[in-house]
This record gives sequence, structure tokens and C-alpha cells, in this order.
Amino acid sequence: MTTDWHLDPGLIEQYETGALEPSRIMAVEAHLLACADCRALIPADDAWLADSWSAVYDDIHAPPVSPIQRLLARAGLPEHRFRLLTATPALRWSWLLATAAVLMLAVAAARFSGDGTLLIGQAFLMAAPILPVTAVSGAYGPPADPMHEITGTTPAAGPALVLWRAVSVIGVAVLMATVAAVLLPGPGWYAAAWLLPALLLCTGTLALATVVSLPTAAAVLGGLWVTGVLAAVGTSQEQVVASMFGPTAQLAYLLSAALAAAVLILRRRRFDLGESR
Amino acid sequence: MTTVTVQGLGKHYGATVALDAVDLTIEVGVTGLLGPNGAGKSTLLRCLATAMAPDDGTIRVGGLDPAVAAQRTEVRRRIGYLPQNPGLYPNFTAYDLLDYVAVLKEMTDSRRRKAEVRRVLDEVELTDRARTKVRKLSGGMRQRLGLAQALLGDPELVILDEPTVGLDPEQRMLFRALISRLGERRTVLLSTHQTEDVGALCERVVVMSGGRVVFDGSPRELAVIAEGQVWLSERPPVGNAAYWRNADGFYRTIGRQPDGAEAARPSIEDGYLLLLGNAVTTEVAR
Repeated sequence: MTTDWHLDPGLIEQYETGALEPSRIMAVEAHLLACADCRALIPADDAWLADSWSAVYDDIHAPPVSPIQRLLARAGLPEHRFRLLTATPALRWSWLLATAAVLMLAVAAARFSGDGTLLIGQAFLMAAPILPVTAVSGAYGPPADPMHEITGTTPAAGPALVLWRAVSVIGVAVLMATVAAVLLPGPGWYAAAWLLPALLLCTGTLALATVVSLPTAAAVLGGLWVTGVLAAVGTSQEQVVASMFGPTAQLAYLLSAALAAAVLILRRRRFDLGESR
Repeated sequence: MTTVTVQGLGKHYGATVALDAVDLTIEVGVTGLLGPNGAGKSTLLRCLATAMAPDDGTIRVGGLDPAVAAQRTEVRRRIGYLPQNPGLYPNFTAYDLLDYVAVLKEMTDSRRRKAEVRRVLDEVELTDRARTKVRKLSGGMRQRLGLAQALLGDPELVILDEPTVGLDPEQRMLFRALISRLGERRTVLLSTHQTEDVGALCERVVVMSGGRVVFDGSPRELAVIAEGQVWLSERPPVGNAAYWRNADGFYRTIGRQPDGAEAARPSIEDGYLLLLGNAVTTEVAR
């Protein structure tokens, strides 16, 4: 589009050198918007223009910075690391909401059931260590991650990615279960008693995942824990809690977790999808 | 320049032999991997892409050995891979998805990464779809997005597993144009069932059957295999390897000359069918 009158060379020079008053700059720019001929007379910095358009394009299309990302950035988590974690299947909202719903139901059942509230607290104590293990099983590789074949052929594939994702999902699952444990009835130590068994199951799952796939490892160790709990059901619930969460058992969990961590470190390269299992 | 060298590559799934002592060298340009289902094409590509470790043999990509853990990461830096089922996250936008894969490809600097995402979106002509969620993209666009993620980081070897399957003719044309441009300065290895793709795109074609390489040459050389063995007749032949009725109402026959038939110019498909017929016969005889 052009107009009948045009900017004179003197005015253009003043505009280019920034010698015009703001009101006249506005008038000149209003004319430039409407007149292609005059626009062509203003020399443009092509590199600057391309950079500006790129910045605008990125601002429009790049994923927005979420409050959680801002929080994690303040805690020192680099932006690219956050991008890696957002694709973790077990960190998706659907998984988190489902977990939160189950925990809320457990708390609500304990609070409103009257008799047997302690029983629910104890049942939760025995079931809680499974939660982080379930999260770990959905952290990496098939079948949880539909893009695993692409992920597994990138330079980032391997132990670092698996461990970053596993640690993040364990962190979230432990946080949620701790909140639920605090809200549940029972002695105060119940809120923390499940943490060492959970740590053992998680490190054990990751260590076993250097031999079989992550979901299989989680299923094996989770299954062993559930079998142990079910086998103890015949005896008194008080005795089960004392034997499974007492000081001796906690020390055994801690030592076993340390052993599993050592195995994990030694065999970490086996997390690479390129190696046969 | 040789990009990939494969020697005596073997892979089996239980009793099934997927790759049987495959020897191959692949150079800059577009190489097509042709073969029926179960021929071992995808297994070969997965081994080259480091998604799977072979049971026997060696692979070298740019002189590096992916079997050595320390060299595998370097191999991955040089590779772009589009699997047959890429499983692109449906709830990610095109831009988010590429941004994520760019991080997986070690582009930690945000500014550089965004520039690279813009570049590949432009290369596959999806710039105006950057904000569209993957699940809302058409099949062809999704396939181009899959190609875009493979191109992040400008890899020297691009591996594409059946990239044109399920595309309509217009999308296929667009895809062919993209791949052809890629092959001007990179090594592109693509698997396909479509002999038309090979004829349109590839300087070289490798035909696989039963986990073995049964042909390695130019598309023209593949067609030449059927020279003097393709015929047109007005009546259906008897006892030949393969025939069908074409759009003009003539019977196109591959094999012995039927009575009253005239010789026809062989196509890549004729050569391929004849080759596979022989390969299958040899396989049965073995």
C-alpha cells in the first residue's frame, strides 16, 4: 500500500538519526505503516530484524514457564533439566492426580471409619513403600514411555537420564505419601517408618533394572513386598508392624538399600537401551 | 565417503533369525532398504541406530564402534532416527516436542536450542504448526514432525524406518522432496515396501529377504534383473511366476514368455518381484 504524498529526504534523515521529537516520530511511523515506498527508503538492519522475528516466534511458541519450573529454577535446577523431567510418564498430571486421589481416599476412610482407624493406618504403612516403586516403573523405557525408541538413541540416553527421572518421581511420590502418612491416625513414628523400606524397594528396583526392564524389576520387588505383607496377615497386625518396621528391620532395610545402591553404581552403564538384557 | 560399515551382522529372536551375516557399506546420498515384512529391515535399522545390540558382527559409524560404551554416545550424536512407530507424545505441541528432543540431543543452551527447533520446523515446512498439539496434526504432518526430530543437530546419518507408509500421494510427494534434499549432503538410509519410493529417491537400493542382503546396486540395475523376462499379452499366461492385468487390459507377466506375448520394458518392481521370487525359492531349497 502507498499514499499520494511521501516523506521528504530531510525528514527521513532526521528519523534515521533519532533527531525527531516523539510526536513527529509517531507521525512518521504512522505514515511508514501505510506507505511501502517510504518504508523502502528506510535502511533496515536485516540481522537485527531476523533476530527480532525469531525472538517473537519463540515467545509465542516456546512452552511457558510454569510456577513449578520457576520454583525449581530458584532451587538450582537448570531449564533444560526441567524439560527432560516434564516428559517423564510418571510425572504427568493424570498419574499425579490418580495417586493423590488414592491417598486422599485412604485418609478419608481412616478419618471417618470410626472403629478400625488404627488398622487402616497400619495397612497404609505396609502399602506405602509400593507407591514410589510404582512411580519408578513409569519413569523410563517401554512400555511407560511411547517415545522410548527415540529417547534411547539420543546422546542423553542411559544411566543419567534414568536416575534423574527416577529421583524426581521418587521425590514426588514420597512427598505425597508423607503428607498422607502425617494425616493418618496412629503413633507419630508411622509417618516416617515406611521411608527406609521404600528406599530399599526403589534402589533395589533400579539395581535389578540393570538386568531386566524397569517395569519388570518394579513388579518383582513390589510383588515380593506384597507377598511378605500378605504372608504376615495371619499373625496379629501389631506383631507384623513391630517386626516389619521395628529398629532391627529398619537397620536391615538401610544396609540392603546401601548394597543395592552399590550394585546400581557398578552396573549403571547397563541402563543403556543399546545393550542386550 | 563411507559413513556406515556393517560386517557379518547377526541378530535372532529365539529361534527366528532376523539378520543373517549382513555385510554392507553405506555412503552419502539416499540408500533404500527394500524387502517384504520380516525381511530384517527394521532390525538392521534399529541396530544401526543403537536402539538394539546385534548378537554377532560389527558396525562402524564414521569409524566409531557403537558396541563400545564410550563411543556409543558419540555415534548417537551423529545419528538422527525416525522409528516405524515414533510414539510422539500426543499432548505436546510440535514446538515442545522438538524442544524436548533437542534437550535429549544435548542442546542445553536455550537460545541455540530454540534456533535449532525453528530451523528444523522450517525444513519440514511446519513453521505455522508449531503450536499445534501432536494429536491434532494430520498423519503426514506427524510424519514430518518425526523427521524434524531426526534432523535436530544436523546429523550426518539419517535413519528412517518406513517414513512414507500411510501417506496420501500429496504428502508422499512432499516427503520425497524433503528426503531428496537431505540426501544432497547427508547419508540417508530409509526402509520401505514401496518400489516407487526407491525409484523416485534412491541412488542405491539394498534388497533384503530372510535377514540377508539379496541385492545391492542401483535402482536401474534392479530393474535390469527382469530384462527379457517381462511380457505383455492379451490373454492370461499359464505357469508363470507372477502376472496381473494392467489398466490397458493387457496381462503383464514376469517369467517365461507366454504364447503371443511381447517384451515389455522392466520396472524396479519387476526386478524386485523376480528377485524375491528367486530368494524365496532359494530359502525353501536351503
